[in-house]
Amino acid sequence: MLSADFVIATAVAYVGLLFVLAYLGDRRARTNKRSFLHSPAVYTLSISVYCTSWTFYGAVGNAARSGLEFLTIYLGPTIVFVGWWFVLRRLVRISHNQRITSVADLLSSRFGKSNRLAVLVTCIAVIGIAPYIALQLKAVTSSIQAVAGASEVGRGSLTGIDDVGLAFGVAAGMALFTILFGTRHIDAKEQHHGVVAAIAFEAVVKLTALVAVGVFVVYIGGGFETIFSRAAEMGFAVQASDSFGDRWVTTMILSICAIICLPRQFQVTVVENSNEDHLRVAGWAFPAYMMLMSLFILPIALFGLTTMPAGSNPDMFALTLPMAAGQDGLALFAFIGGFSSATSMIILESIALSIMVSNHIVMPIVLRLTAGQQRSDGQGVTSMVLVARRFSIVLILSLGFFYFFFTRDSDALAPIGLISFAAIAQFFPAVIAALFWRDASLRAATLAIAVGFIVWFWCSFLPSFESVSPAVARLLVDGPWGISWLRPEAMFGLDGLDPLTHAVFWSLTLNVFILIVASLFTSQSALERIQASVFVDVFRRGPVAQGNFMRGSATANDLFFVAERVLGERRAALLFEVEAREVGVDPAMLDPSPDFIGRLERELAGSIGAASAHVMLAKVVSGGHVSLEEVMQMADETQQVIEYSQQLEKTSAELRTTARKLEDANAQLRELDSQKDEFLSQVSHEVRTPMTSIRSFSEILMEQGDLDEWQRQRFVRTIHGESLRLTKLLDEILDLSALERGERAWENAPTDAEAALDRAIAVCDALVRQRGMTLELGQRARPTMVNGEADRLCQVFINLISNAVKYNTAEEPVMRITSIVRSGSYIVDIADNGPGIAKGERKLIFEKFSRGLRGANGDQSGAGLGLAISRQIVARMNGSLELVPGPLAGACFRVRLNVVRS
Amino acid sequence: MPRAKARAPEPRKLASGMLVLTGFGALLLVPPLVYIFNQPISHFGVPQIVIYLFLVWVLLIIGTAVLTHFMPRSDGSEASDDTDDSTEGDS
Repeated sequence: MLSADFVIATAVAYVGLLFVLAYLGDRRARTNKRSFLHSPAVYTLSISVYCTSWTFYGAVGNAARSGLEFLTIYLGPTIVFVGWWFVLRRLVRISHNQRITSVADLLSSRFGKSNRLAVLVTCIAVIGIAPYIALQLKAVTSSIQAVAGASEVGRGSLTGIDDVGLAFGVAAGMALFTILFGTRHIDAKEQHHGVVAAIAFEAVVKLTALVAVGVFVVYIGGGFETIFSRAAEMGFAVQASDSFGDRWVTTMILSICAIICLPRQFQVTVVENSNEDHLRVAGWAFPAYMMLMSLFILPIALFGLTTMPAGSNPDMFALTLPMAAGQDGLALFAFIGGFSSATSMIILESIALSIMVSNHIVMPIVLRLTAGQQRSDGQGVTSMVLVARRFSIVLILSLGFFYFFFTRDSDALAPIGLISFAAIAQFFPAVIAALFWRDASLRAATLAIAVGFIVWFWCSFLPSFESVSPAVARLLVDGPWGISWLRPEAMFGLDGLDPLTHAVFWSLTLNVFILIVASLFTSQSALERIQASVFVDVFRRGPVAQGNFMRGSATANDLFFVAERVLGERRAALLFEVEAREVGVDPAMLDPSPDFIGRLERELAGSIGAASAHVMLAKVVSGGHVSLEEVMQMADETQQVIEYSQQLEKTSAELRTTARKLEDANAQLRELDSQKDEFLSQVSHEVRTPMTSIRSFSEILMEQGDLDEWQRQRFVRTIHGESLRLTKLLDEILDLSALERGERAWENAPTDAEAALDRAIAVCDALVRQRGMTLELGQRARPTMVNGEADRLCQVFINLISNAVKYNTAEEPVMRITSIVRSGSYIVDIADNGPGIAKGERKLIFEKFSRGLRGANGDQSGAGLGLAISRQIVARMNGSLELVPGPLAGACFRVRLNVVRS
Repeated sequence: MPRAKARAPEPRKLASGMLVLTGFGALLLVPPLVYIFNQPISHFGVPQIVIYLFLVWVLLIIGTAVLTHFMPRSDGSEASDDTDDSTEGDS
């Protein structure tokens, strides 16, 4: 027979073993970053802190009382882990990036680093978890009582101590243990490798213990078949038709919420996670663990129901069955298993809650109080945090103890746990909104959680005191002040639902409704929008984008002081040295960049929470938070899309411009093409006329041999003349096209233009005389140097003079040539008293093959290329050739060239 | 893993597969589908509904393990991070 003293001694020894494990684990984790403590197996085992004594004892009791319902508590988390890719992975990534330390920190960080929200969440968690802690105390107490009550000698030193005293002892022991365990130092990421190692060990212990009891029960019960059939004979049917009613769905939803939002689950799954890939294993291994835990619960419950005396507590079957069979060793193992599951839960839960309390409630107060006094305490904040955490642990366990004290008369374990689940589930809508919904706002989340909590308090928490308080019992029946539609278990007259379903329905429905509607009606602050974008787009942006949103400047000195207060001197100094080395300056000369301030903020957030870290740095960093442009640029995805489409628009506008240019170029090309065609046809026409006459005259010469000598001579002369004209035409065409292509290049050199003009007049003298023309030489310039080539210039003048002679049809033809130098230009005017050039032709005469109308008559032999060639030549000399109103009746051509100053 | 990666299906399709597994897994465990198996029949002495629930459970575990095996790891290139459940596919 086991004695209570022996069992208690074993429990204390077991705790001692855990402590050693935690100590070794811490040391190992610190010295070796790749040890098995960082393996996915340990991670998965630590998550199974979810299976508390509620599982170990309560599930059996639950199965005995309400059949399969206990399974929902494990099926819900299975769903979450099967879908780890969607929610858990996101949570872990965000928390790593943002150094999230708790679920309160997560919500606070997402909703604009609001401390008020963090405080609300922390308070709800502390109150909501109290029943859960009470459940563990109750389970441990009951298990010790079960052992002690079974024998006459068993009570030993427990004689005279009742449940309450025992529970107090357990709570005090746990508080001490947790303080020793979890608050020895502050980790940069709030990771407690030693504790996790101990928790993993406990996970193995409780699983083996429960499986051992299960195998034993199946063995002595004669196998699954016998146990189930005997239970069926005695009327304990598993497949009751009401198993899958509203409670089934409710508890499933609650367990889904709990596995994500319970402070200790958040701690082990998200905060203690050292590698995102560990989730890959946990995704299937944790459901497998839960399935193994659940495998033997039904046989144990059914066998207990059929063999144990009526009225015995089904919660303790796992312990009392081996004892009834006389297996003391197994019973002791079962006790240690149950104790394991209770201790692991209490340790982690109170560590997680104490982090929340110290980061979100104590730290902001301390920071406010000690803001003035500085410099004196290097380690001040660090030790303050530790003290705050120790007090929080005591407070949390006391709350649990008081809840146990007030509700000690209710006998079942599972309903107590579900009350806690319902409280914690109030965070779930906000957490999901934080991860997936950009528009969820701070005010909406705060209001939704608060309302959900109030409804929970009224409908679920208060009624649990029914058995101890007559006032509460009266309230349940009549409602407050006799208002029946406010009765806690029948709000708005919704009667007939199971109380838990009722509470969960109203609290979660109102919670979600308010969260959505209020978000749509409120607006977000700049910081909220940034954080929303960082959370929602965590997989869309690179790791850079988690940057800093605190702009402005601060001296390295101030920053160092802040860092030193929180992180301790050594880590702060290290941080600054690393930064200084990266920038490449002396640590004393470090000029903190915005990036560095951002990194510092995250480091601080790892120790004191996002909101506190933000407040601390905001005091030191001067300058605005974020400018509107930065918000638009950095955070807003809408903005990104807009920018992208603007870029697209710009590109397409560019494309349009290019297309238009191409069209223009194409039109130009087509124009040139048609010009070329025209030119060719004109050339052909010009060539054809002399060719025709040459051909006809030569045919006459060939065919008619009786021509006299004189006629023959005349024909040959004509043929010769036409050939000359043809040659000249071809020469001119070649000359012009060469000039146009820039082939016939000559070096422009200072040339005496006046001399060239004189030479031209001399050459044309015979022509002028032959025509009987009067040449008036007007005012002449002195010898003037222009940039050009003498022969070419002379060619131009000859062309102009001969034109004036050829086209003059006046009775008394007169030509006047003048030249002057005016404002740096040498100007030659060649005028005649001919018919002039009709208005419509003035533009055309410089074109190829244009001869003017009067060119049709007379004996001129030009091809109409002269003026075009002249104009090209003058243009090559940087001058101009144009038609101007002249002093005589006819046309007046003006050549203008730049004078070279010597 | 490199060999598995080489013939692995598209990550986004795998993610969709996981979504289906999660959704249908949840659907199989709640009314009305559980009603179908909640009959007073026993196999090997164990009620059918118990066998059904544990069978779904085991299949979910195996399904998750298999799908996860083909999922890209996070410690690889950053590109694997963009294979999100969302429709965004930038690099």
